[in-house]
Amino acid sequence: MVLDVKSLVDAEAGLISRRIFIEDEIYQEELERIFARCWLFLCHESQIPEPGDFITTYMGEDSVLVMRDTSGKIGAFLNVCPHRGNRLCRADNGNASAFICAYHGWAFNNQGNLQAVPNLQDAYYNDLDRSKWGLIPVAQLDTYKGLVFATFDKTAPSLMDYLGGMTWYLDSFFDRREGGVEIIGGVHRWIIPCNWKLPAENFGGDAYHVSWNHLSALTSGFTRAPAARQTSGGGTLSPGNGHCVLAVGAEDYAAAPLEIIQEYEESIRAETLDRLGPRMERMTPNVGTLFPHMSFLRGSSRSLRVWHPKGPDKIEVIACQFVDKAAPQEVKDALRVTGLRAFGPSGVLEQDDMDNWEECTRTNRGAVTRRYALNYQMGLGHDSFDEEMGAWSSDFRFSDSNPRYFYQRWAQLMQADSWDQV
Amino acid sequence: MKDDTLREVEQFLYREARMLDTRRFAEWLELFSDDLRYWMPTRSNRYPLNSKAISIVDASRYEEEEVSGEDELAIMEETKDTLERRVARLDTGMAWAEDPPSRTRHIITNIEVEAGDSAGELRVYSNFVMYRNRGQTDEDFYVGSREDVLRRESGQLRIKYRKIVLDQNVLLAKNVSNFF
Repeated sequence: MVLDVKSLVDAEAGLISRRIFIEDEIYQEELERIFARCWLFLCHESQIPEPGDFITTYMGEDSVLVMRDTSGKIGAFLNVCPHRGNRLCRADNGNASAFICAYHGWAFNNQGNLQAVPNLQDAYYNDLDRSKWGLIPVAQLDTYKGLVFATFDKTAPSLMDYLGGMTWYLDSFFDRREGGVEIIGGVHRWIIPCNWKLPAENFGGDAYHVSWNHLSALTSGFTRAPAARQTSGGGTLSPGNGHCVLAVGAEDYAAAPLEIIQEYEESIRAETLDRLGPRMERMTPNVGTLFPHMSFLRGSSRSLRVWHPKGPDKIEVIACQFVDKAAPQEVKDALRVTGLRAFGPSGVLEQDDMDNWEECTRTNRGAVTRRYALNYQMGLGHDSFDEEMGAWSSDFRFSDSNPRYFYQRWAQLMQADSWDQV
Repeated sequence: MKDDTLREVEQFLYREARMLDTRRFAEWLELFSDDLRYWMPTRSNRYPLNSKAISIVDASRYEEEEVSGEDELAIMEETKDTLERRVARLDTGMAWAEDPPSRTRHIITNIEVEAGDSAGELRVYSNFVMYRNRGQTDEDFYVGSREDVLRRESGQLRIKYRKIVLDQNVLLAKNVSNFF
């Protein structure tokens, strides 16, 4: 299928077609051109700390098994038995030197090699080249500050090139202190009937909705929510490649209004400034999206999540919480409980988002509705490249600037036949 | 356990369910002790230790338990204060997940009452089916078990601990904006 991408995304005019949120043909192209090509987040190293530790996740709609082999090296493979295509591992996580397929008993070690095939001698006449029938690996795997990423595209740029100017922003979330962050045990997984791009653009660029959509949570004492204060500084930041970050004022942060958390933030401020440099005196990054669909938040929750696509109108969220590794245990506990009360399926902020995203998706089923483009014109012509922040930044802290860069990148990838054209 | 205690606990839980389904949340909050812990852990898929699907490298650190621990991420981990604030939020006229409100039905069954760990406390097990219908066609079925610790305060039964174990791994509801 040849998509007329120009008719779908007009970033210069701030117009986006509703078709990209509902049509299956476009979604199938996204699976090929976005999810089978981009670097995608798999897990944090602290979720698989020891040899043999594994976790299952998705890259696009492909089921993926991520594991630390017996020598300690991390690998990622399609979680699919090459024999009949059965899903190999049915656990969310665990520890294993080998995985045995439930269907016929083909056995793979934690480096993905096919080790044993029942009846190899008699039924296959020993005529099966086991070296050719191991698990199918990702094309490239790399880590950045404990975050594990992979791509199925061997021609994709290196992870560092893909992240580009986003690396400093990732540092401001995941490497504020010596030792970086660790993931609190357990994950939230849930289904939202919405297109994956709606939460991705929301976390990456929608400071505007906070002061209305989340007002009930803000007034009930669950968050300090500086983003909703008219006096707050901060802004939108697009460091390139479709990545997006929102920031609040330099002196501000959006943690829950709990003394222990506020004291902690004050106590590490000098260390954080020293580590991250003068940009932190300009503003504090507090939410963002790494293109295409990993979002993170350091506000009323320290949440790291991926919006896994499950069709044009459905996602599975896999969300976890991160904390500075060097933080005292009581701070980690306070962040855990305040975090899950704000974000996650029962989070008093997040639960009001799902309905919006669902209805923003569902209404596009109407053929007439779909004819009308959506408005992404806020702050059009009112952003510029901020040399100091290394990012395109809007003049006012509410702007559609970030989503415009996000969809521009989406359109580039949907049109490009190779990475050279992006 | 004496029959009249059993009947009293059953009626207490049924009345509580009716309060929730008729959205009398302020009254519902009065059923809890001030030192309440209200906890809904998550569930994961894990191979048991004897599973032949994997060969475990280090059995000594392998966790078979599939219900999340007290120090792990939960769906809800609440105190009386945060439940009160959740209810206060519903009264702001801007709690969009419940505006218009859900239609809920709490079916409470399999009630067992035992003596609790301390004198005057009761440990109560129950199962629930909670049906949620909202908007035009939204439907969620929540099925699971509860473990409550009840105690008598000024003659009234109060809930001081509630653990809600939902029988789902990937939560099939888009959001959890109701109580259990």
